[in-house]
Order: sequence, then structure tokens, then C-alpha cells
Amino acid sequence: MRTEAIRFAPERTIAGDLGRPARAAAMAAAAGAVGVLLTAFLAEDGLRRAQFAWLIAALFVLTLGLGALFFVLLQHLVRSGWSVAVRRVAEKVALTIPAAGLLLVPVVLPTLLGHGGLFPWAAADAAHESELIAHKRPWLNGPFFALRIALYIGAWSWLARWFAARSREQDLSGDPQATLAMQRRSAPAMVLYGVTVAFASFDLVMSLTPEWFSTIFGVYVFAGSVLGFLGLCVPLVLLLERRGRLRDVVTVEHYHDLGRLLFAFVFFWGYIAFSQYLLIWYANVPEETVWFQPRQRGGWAPVSLTLVFGHFLLPFAGLLSRRVKRRRGLLAAWGAALVALHYVDLLWLVGPAFRAAGPAFGLPEVAALAGAGGVFAHALLRASEHSPLVPIRDPRLGESLALRQT
Amino acid sequence: MTTVTPTTADVLSEDPRRRPPLVTGEATLGRVTDDVCAIVERPRPPRAWYAAFALSVSLTGLFFGMLGYLIATGVGVWGNNSPVGWGWPIVNFVFWVGIGHAGTLISAILFLTRQGWRTSINRFAEAMTIFAVACAGIFPAVHVGRVWLAYWLLPVPNQMQMWPNFKSPLLWDVFAVGTYATVSLLFWYMGLIPDLATLRDRAKGTLRRVAYGFFALGWTGSARQWHRYEKAYLLLAGLATPLVLSVHSVVSFDFAVSQVPGWHTTIFPPYFVAGAVFSGFAMVVTLMVPARRFFGLGDLVTLRHLETMNKVILAMSLMVGFAYGTELFIAWYGGNPYERFAFLNRALGPFAWAYWVMVVCNVLVPQLFWSRRIRTSPAAMVAVCVLVNVGMWFERFVITVTSLSRDFLPSSWQHFRPTAVDVLTFLGSFGLFFTLFLLFCRFLPMVAMAEVKAGLPGAQPRHVDGGEAAHG
Amino acid sequence: MASARGTKLGLVGAFASADELVAATRSVRAAGFRRFDAFSPYPVHGIDEAMGTRPTVLPWLVLGAGVAGLAGALALQLWTNGVDYPFVTSGKPAWGLPAYVPVAFEVVILAGAVTAFVGMLALNGLPRWANPVLGAKAVQAASSTGFAVAIEAADPAFDEARARAVLAGAGASGVEAFHAPPRAPFPRPLVYGAWIALALALVPPALIVAKRAGVSRLPRVHLVRDMDRQPKRGAQAESPFFDDGRAARLPVAGTVAVGELRADAGFETGRADGDWLSRPPLEIDRALLDRGRERYAIHCAVCHGADGRGRGPVAIRAEALREPAWVPPSDLQSEHARGLADGELYDVVRNGVRNMAGYGDQLAARDRWAVVAYLRALQRSQNATSEDLPPGVTPFSR
Repeated sequence: MRTEAIRFAPERTIAGDLGRPARAAAMAAAAGAVGVLLTAFLAEDGLRRAQFAWLIAALFVLTLGLGALFFVLLQHLVRSGWSVAVRRVAEKVALTIPAAGLLLVPVVLPTLLGHGGLFPWAAADAAHESELIAHKRPWLNGPFFALRIALYIGAWSWLARWFAARSREQDLSGDPQATLAMQRRSAPAMVLYGVTVAFASFDLVMSLTPEWFSTIFGVYVFAGSVLGFLGLCVPLVLLLERRGRLRDVVTVEHYHDLGRLLFAFVFFWGYIAFSQYLLIWYANVPEETVWFQPRQRGGWAPVSLTLVFGHFLLPFAGLLSRRVKRRRGLLAAWGAALVALHYVDLLWLVGPAFRAAGPAFGLPEVAALAGAGGVFAHALLRASEHSPLVPIRDPRLGESLALRQT
Repeated sequence: MTTVTPTTADVLSEDPRRRPPLVTGEATLGRVTDDVCAIVERPRPPRAWYAAFALSVSLTGLFFGMLGYLIATGVGVWGNNSPVGWGWPIVNFVFWVGIGHAGTLISAILFLTRQGWRTSINRFAEAMTIFAVACAGIFPAVHVGRVWLAYWLLPVPNQMQMWPNFKSPLLWDVFAVGTYATVSLLFWYMGLIPDLATLRDRAKGTLRRVAYGFFALGWTGSARQWHRYEKAYLLLAGLATPLVLSVHSVVSFDFAVSQVPGWHTTIFPPYFVAGAVFSGFAMVVTLMVPARRFFGLGDLVTLRHLETMNKVILAMSLMVGFAYGTELFIAWYGGNPYERFAFLNRALGPFAWAYWVMVVCNVLVPQLFWSRRIRTSPAAMVAVCVLVNVGMWFERFVITVTSLSRDFLPSSWQHFRPTAVDVLTFLGSFGLFFTLFLLFCRFLPMVAMAEVKAGLPGAQPRHVDGGEAAHG
Repeated sequence: MASARGTKLGLVGAFASADELVAATRSVRAAGFRRFDAFSPYPVHGIDEAMGTRPTVLPWLVLGAGVAGLAGALALQLWTNGVDYPFVTSGKPAWGLPAYVPVAFEVVILAGAVTAFVGMLALNGLPRWANPVLGAKAVQAASSTGFAVAIEAADPAFDEARARAVLAGAGASGVEAFHAPPRAPFPRPLVYGAWIALALALVPPALIVAKRAGVSRLPRVHLVRDMDRQPKRGAQAESPFFDDGRAARLPVAGTVAVGELRADAGFETGRADGDWLSRPPLEIDRALLDRGRERYAIHCAVCHGADGRGRGPVAIRAEALREPAWVPPSDLQSEHARGLADGELYDVVRNGVRNMAGYGDQLAARDRWAVVAYLRALQRSQNATSEDLPPGVTPFSR
């Protein structure tokens, strides 16, 4: 180990008082919430529009947290060494999941009360109108839906907190047993994670079009979530490095590895998205193509093309080169762009259920984004306050600090 | 060079403070070279090798005999019938292609993710990949019926002024499997070049020197050669990684672009890839355990290597099980009565026994690997892995046969029964696989010596090395 | 000894470890040598910087091959399936791009991988089966356990004593020279063998040329008989199975095949209750007339002429040749022809008249009526008077 050769000062990695930015985030959240409420009362078709805008924004921050949780679990599962220096960032982002879960209350509550504006199956008379919805009643009904969402959020929050807490304990104790405990738990945790994410995407997104179904859908949402988190992670790490918290901890090698993961998930997302499209396009079964029809026409067609190019082809070409992955600023710019495109992806998944003619993106959506983003930022800042932003006594930190690409 | 001699207990250590060593015993360049080359250089292989070789050569004879009979007579000698037009040949094709997924995954994906332990097993697994793909390729080729017209699959200008249909997934298969076979072969051969040069330089007799020298292509191991070699290896790994994903995805498209209930479901591509890696790894473990025993490779291929493989198998088993579950759920949730029937028919219909063999072998049995004792016991892991391969064969059987034998039109339902030719051809294909494999074990270095050496403790200059940890 | 081995090509120093190897290359380079190389049993990290090796162009070659593969594969698929021979598969457009993605992807990978492999060999100057440096013991050992540095005599800075000193100074455990291989004559049997093989190799192409240039009266060799012989009966074949000895069966008496029922006698024969129909028994519209014009042009105009006056190209040709048996076709614009009932004209089309053969086999009933309807329009167009003009239109006067 050459840990001693690296100037590493644990005390420098501790975040200070983040009260001010946290208050700013809370204010943004409040302003956003007010904006969404105004939309609900003032705009044409305002209630539904506000609901959809809110759902998209809530899913946006929730999936970023889910991507982070996957990252944490994966690093423990494969006993990763390189990633220790950036793992704490993922742990903190995963800690926003409970807050993101609260954002889902305005989504779940009306559904539970039989309001079908968001989920058509929730309306009391939906089952009379559609035989399919009647068939799905045992699964798609308000109480069971609310129970499932609560279970998912509870499971994820528990996982995120458990892993973050063990890691924080290790900061103080330096006990290698903590690492072993996390490794052991990571495997069953991953099983729980996989099943819940798949069914959550069926429930929260797929059932917006209750007639439609696709078995790969959970994998699609999962791929987008991890990509979104990795995109967020690079600018976050760069920000922390510039602020001095991760100085002498992360090196260009860590950016390179994050860039490689980013590239891998760009490809994986493209692979999953293409597989889903190709199979449905080719078989041409009406109950499946119904979902792609509005997305290929009218105002949604340019959004679909934006995803094909912006979410897949351009970043694929852009991140191919080793040099790009070793330039912090450029990589962070790609990461930020992919976060933005993750929002577009969710807009594309959810939006056509609100309006098939074309996307609705305006002040209500921006307000919802500000609201959800503010809650997310507030939770992230509160979780990071006064805590080291590196697992300072992780037994593999030395390995991570000495990382070198070969 | 350090002279530590790690033991099995060391490699199985879970202590997170230090990475366990990759190999046991005295880890020196000379030791690695001698251990691997000795297998090839000894005048006679172990007696077990002769027995195995005799058996597999006769099975190979059976295989080609059956193929000859098939070509001379026609595909009527198979059990394929009117709705079940695919039958065993396609089941066997998918089975063998799946087996062929471990090698390139180990050499490409584990290379890109810096998994140093791959070096002990990658050569072995790559060789297995190529032999499995060779077996796989034969089945669709003879399944076309008139094999002498198989070249119609290629875009060759011909007197009929016709082109192959590029919109057909069966043609995608030709390109995917062809590319996969070529790239796997290149990858394998490129890795072999430095080791062949080692054998050339150690050779005592002229014949050996000329034979190994010819295939070593004049490799000198100079730094300038290594520089381009490493870059080419990295590029091949980068190209092979998406290729591994694509090949079994394309195989899954054969089924999933259709509208047959039980075939048309969007999770097929990743689910097939997971299943392929699952069966491939299981086959590697099944063969590796006896091979390391008979050829004395226990120090290079340690229990930890096998344990890690078993963990991957467990992960893939969970993914495959998850896909089974999702399919069942969506079959109900989707509300399509044909789809629902297809799955009820699988679980309760005339082929229910095959379905339950598949579920038990693929989902339940691998759960034993949660136990570390079973993961690290050679006998137990071979037992589990053999069952996994049985289960994976039945998975392809269930998918292919149950859906075809009972599709939309009950009046055309037909039970499927394989003929003796079906069974003997499939058995014979194992003969071809093992014949090639045993020849490989006898004449080529089973472990990638140059790669293992590069990862030995102290092998790299100190001023660039982050310590042993960099190879963890 | 050296004279038997040929000229001295350089010096090789043996080293014990990767550390020493890297240090040695650094000092060899510092001493001003450029044509030198280091040998090791595995890639040694950091040696490229020590030796000053520039990054290889291989990635660019692979990128180029991948782009070319993509363009080539897409062009091939779009042209063969979209332009040259448009395929319609399950209702997909000829240029259905998603279906062309898998093959394009595989070709990109194939082109890239082959380029990576072949490019690596080519840039390394491989295969090169006879390399003098492999004669050095230290280089041979470097494929197993040893490390070695070779300095070539071709280096402009080469001076044997100095090179020896630099290698020894870097810690070489031994320094040896390597030589060009002695020039031995090529083994005679191999030369004769090669000539014989070459001569034999020319036989098949010569045979092919001879066959292609000549004429053969024998039937072609039919190696694969495919479905030439099938256990079935041809159209007019015998069959001992049936009483009447015919393989082809007639429909059962009193049955009509689906779609073959012809119940409307007037429509089929042009005659109802013994009288010719005066009007076609179907609605006459533009589509029917267009169809009639097309059928008339195909079946009738060759004799009767496009205007119906009996001056079609066949008639003109027959007259020019003075064919003795030629009966001129009727003038369809004559009073007689114009006076025939529609049903009678229909009967002529169907069954023929005098020398004219019936066209009932070529024209379906509806098409025969279309021809009749068109012929009526044609007659009217050739015999119009000013009364036929629509009201308000005055005839053109000279």
C-alpha cells in the first residue's frame, strides 16, 4: 500500500454547516409546491396537469436515489476497491429516498381515494368500462397499490439507511467487520432491490396505461435510474473536489472509472430500450403498439428522437474516447446532460398518458421540478452535514486512493 | 520476486484489509511456466485422458454418423412435426450457444472490470466457448434441410436475382453467431500467441518447435510488441463485451419477434443473456474441477476462483428466476387469454414435468450456493452445475416445444416426441465438444501464462505499482 | 564461429527482473541508442514511458473499420432489401430501419475485431517466422522467466564496446551477440515438391477452362437431385388406383367449386330467353370502361386496330405478305357491327365467329362485357355528329 505516500487528511473531508444552502433548497421546494398548487387551481385541466408534472418530478428524484442505492449495493457485492473514494457520495444520494417517498404522497393519496386523473384504473367506474381493468382489479386497486408503494419506499429507505449507518459507524470504529457485514447483506439486499424496483416501475409508470404491459419495463426504468445517478455523481464529485472536500482523495483515475460506468450504462440503456422497441415494433400486436403509437406521432416524435440521439447515440460516441473520460469538466458536462435527459426520459414515459398529442412542458413542470429538486437537495444537504464525505476508515480506502488505470 | 507461499486458507480469506492472493503455492515466473507447460510437454497424458478421449471420439463418430444419415435421408428422421417445426435441433442450438457465453464474458467483461482472477480461467473458458459454438453452429445448419443450399443465407449475388431477407431474425442469427465464433477465435488465438512462443522456446524436439513456432507467428515478447498487443487486447475486449450481450439477445429475437404465446415477451433479450452466462459458467465449473485435479492445476485455479464463479452462477440463477416470475406475472396481468394459457400449459400441461425440472434445476438447486461450504466444495459444486446445465437444456426445450405444440389453433395442436436420431445426435454433439476439449488440454497451454505472470505479486516494477492491491 | 553464423546484428543483455528491465531500457535510451527493444514474458507496465514508445495508431484503425462496417452493412441491407429486391415482411416498410440494426451491429464488431487482430500483427511485423534476435539465449528465456534488452547493430550510435558497457552498467547478468542466420541452400526436395504442387494446382482451373470453352452433348451432372423425383402423379399421368385409370380427378357430378358458381345465364352467355341482351347486364362506369380499353388493347387491337376499323398491325402485315388464307378482320365501325346487339357482340368475344377464335378462355365474363362497353364507346367516338355535342357547344367549322 502506498497510502502514506498520498497526502490525505481525513478532517478535510468533513462537510461543514450546510444550513444556508439547505434553507435555500427548502425555499425552492416551497416555491415549487406553491407553483404546482396554483397550476392545479388556475390552469386549464389544471388538476391533472399538476398531478402529472408532480409525478414526473417525484419519479425523477426518486430514481436518482434508486440509482445511488444500486451503486452502493453493487460496490459491496463485488467487494470493489476503486470506488471507495466516491462511495460516500452515493450513500448520501441514496439517503434522499425517504424524502422522495414523501413526494409520492400526493400521487398515492388521490388514487387511494378513487380519483382516476392520474391512474385511470383508480376511478370507481373504470372496471365497468374496460374488461381488462376489471381483470386486473385484484392487482390494480387503491388500497393494495398504496400498500405496495409504502412497502417499496420502506424497503429502499431501510436499505439506504442501513448501509449508510454501517459505513458511518466504520468512520469511527474502523472495524473491518463492518465491511464484511455490508458485503454479506448486499447480496440479499440486491435481490430485494431488483424485485421492488421492477414492480415499482410496473405500478408507478406502466399502470398509467393500464391496458399495456411489457416484461422488460422494470429493467428499462432501472437502467435509466442508474444512468441518471452516474450522470449526477460526476458533477457532484467534481463540485466536492473543487470545494476541497475530496481533494487528494479522488484523482483523474476515479473520473475515468465513473466515465467507464457511465458509458457502459449508456450502452445498456440503449440496448434495453432498443430491445423493447424492436420486439413490439416487429410483432405489431395492437395491445402493445398502443403504447408506442402516441410516442411516435405529433409532438412526441421529436421527444423520442431526442432520446434516441441524446440519451444514446451522442453520449455513446462522445464517451467512447479515453481522453474524454479523463477530462473532469467535460465528463461532468456529459453527466449533467444525461441527468437532464433522464428527466426527458421520464417525461416521455409518463407524459403521453396526460396528453397524447404532445408534451406539456412549461411553468407547472418547472415548478414541480423545483419543488421535488428542492426537497431532494434539502435531504441531500441535511444528510451530508458535519459528516465525512469519504468513508475515511474503510479498509479498502488505500486501494482506492492508489487507483491507477493500466 | 517475493517468495511467499500462500495456502488455500489465504486465498479464501475474507479479510477486507488485504486482497487475497490469486494463486497458492510458490508464486514465481518459473513455477507458473513449469506448471502449465508440463501438462503439454509430458510424453503421456494421464490414463483418465485416454479413457475420456476414446469415449468422446466414439461419440463424435456417432454424431457425424447421425448427421450423415440425416442428410442422406431428410429431416423426417427427426421428431419435428407440423406445429413443432423447430424441435430438438433448435433446442440444442440454443443450449450450445448459451454454453459458449462464459468464455468471452470472462475474457472481455471481467478484463474491463479489472478482475485479476480471470487470468487463471480465461484460456480454459475461451476454448470451451469456441468448441461449444462449433457444436451450436452445426444444428441450425442441418436444420435448414438441404444443407448444400445453406449458402443462400449469405448475401451472394446469384442466378435467382434474390437476396436473403435481412429483416428475418434467423438471418441476424447467422451474422451474430458467425461474428461471435470469429471474434471468440481471434480473442483466444491472440491470447495464445505469447504462450505458444513460450512453448516454442522451451521445445526439445524439432517437430514441436516447428509446430508451436508456426502458430506463434514469430512472437518475441518485445516491449514494442507488447504495447500494441495490450492495446489490441483492450480493443477486442471492448468490442467483445457488447457482442456477448448481442449474441444471445439475437437468439432470443428468433423467438420474441414472433407472436407465438410464450415467445413474444420483451424481457427475452436480457433474460436469455443471463441464462447463457448461467449455463456457460456452470459448464466451466463442471469441467474445471476435474481438469485442475487431473492436471495438477490446483495452485493456479484455486478454490476461490471456483467460489467466485459459483457466486456468479447464483446471481444468474436469481436473474433467471426473476425473469420466470415476471413472465408469469405479466401473463396474468396482461390479460391476454392465449398468453395465460401458454403459461398454464407449461406448468400444468403435457410437458409440465419438463417445466418443473427446469424450475427446480435453475432456480431452486443453485440457491445451495448461498452456503459457503457448498460453494467451496468441489464435489458439491459439480453436482449443482451439472443440474444447472440439465435445467438450462430443459428451459430451451420448454420454451421451444410447449409454445409450438399448442398455439392459437387447437385443431393443429400436436404432441412432440423426439426420435432416437434426435437423442443420439444430441449425445454425439457432446462427443465433438469433449474431443476438441481434450485435444486442447493435451496440446495447448490451459492457463494463460503470460497473463497470470503479469498479475503475480512483485511482477510489475515498484515505481508504477500500487502494491498487490492494484490487481485485486 | 561467428563466420559460420553470419554477420553480427546486435547485442543482448539478460536481466533478472522487471524493475531492472525498466531501469536498463532507461539507461540504454539515455546513452543515445534508438534501435533497441526490451523482452519480457508478460507486458511490463511503465516500460513504454521508459522506452519512449509512442501510442499506437491501432485504435484509429479499429474506429475506421467500425465506421466502414456500419456504413457498409447499412448500405448492403438497404440496397438489397429496400431497393434491388424490396422485401415486405409482416407489413414492415422496405426501409424498416430497426430490423437492420442487429446485422449492422454485428458487422461493426466483426470489422473492428478483425482489424484489431490483423492490425496488431501487421504493426508488429508478424508473422515473421525467422527472426535473428530469437537466436539469443536471453531472448528465448524471456518468453518464460527472463528479461532481456537487445541493441541492434544497425543503430547509428552502435559501437559494440560501448553497447556492452551500457548493458553491463545497467546490471546485465550476461551479454551475448546475435547473428544473421547462415545462408544455407534451400532443401532440394522441398523445391521439387513445390514445383510439382504448383503444376498439379493448375490442373483444376485448366479443366474448368476447357469445359467452359468447349461444347458437350452429355446432360449436365445433377449432383443434388433435390425434389426432382417425387412420389406423386403428374397432370395427365396414369393411375392404376382409379377405375378410369386417370391420376387427375374430375369434380364429383353435380358439385361446383367455391367461387365457380355461374347462375346468371345472361351475364355468362349474353343471351336471355333466346334473345340477345341489348345492354350489358352490369353497371357501366369509368372503371369498367378503362378496364375494357385495356383488355381491348391487349386482345383485340392487334387485328381490329386501335380504332376498330380492322387495320391492326397483324392485318397490315398479312396483307403485305399476301397471305393466301388470310381473311381480313371485320370493320367494327361498319353499319353491321354497330347494329349488332350487345349480347351478340359479347357472344363473339366469348366464342368467336367465322375465322376469329373465341376469347372466353382469356377473358373473364366481366372483362368481356367491359370490352363490349368500350367498343360501344369507340363506335360512338368514330361516328359522332354535331347532335352528340353537349348543348351550348358549337361544332368547329372549317
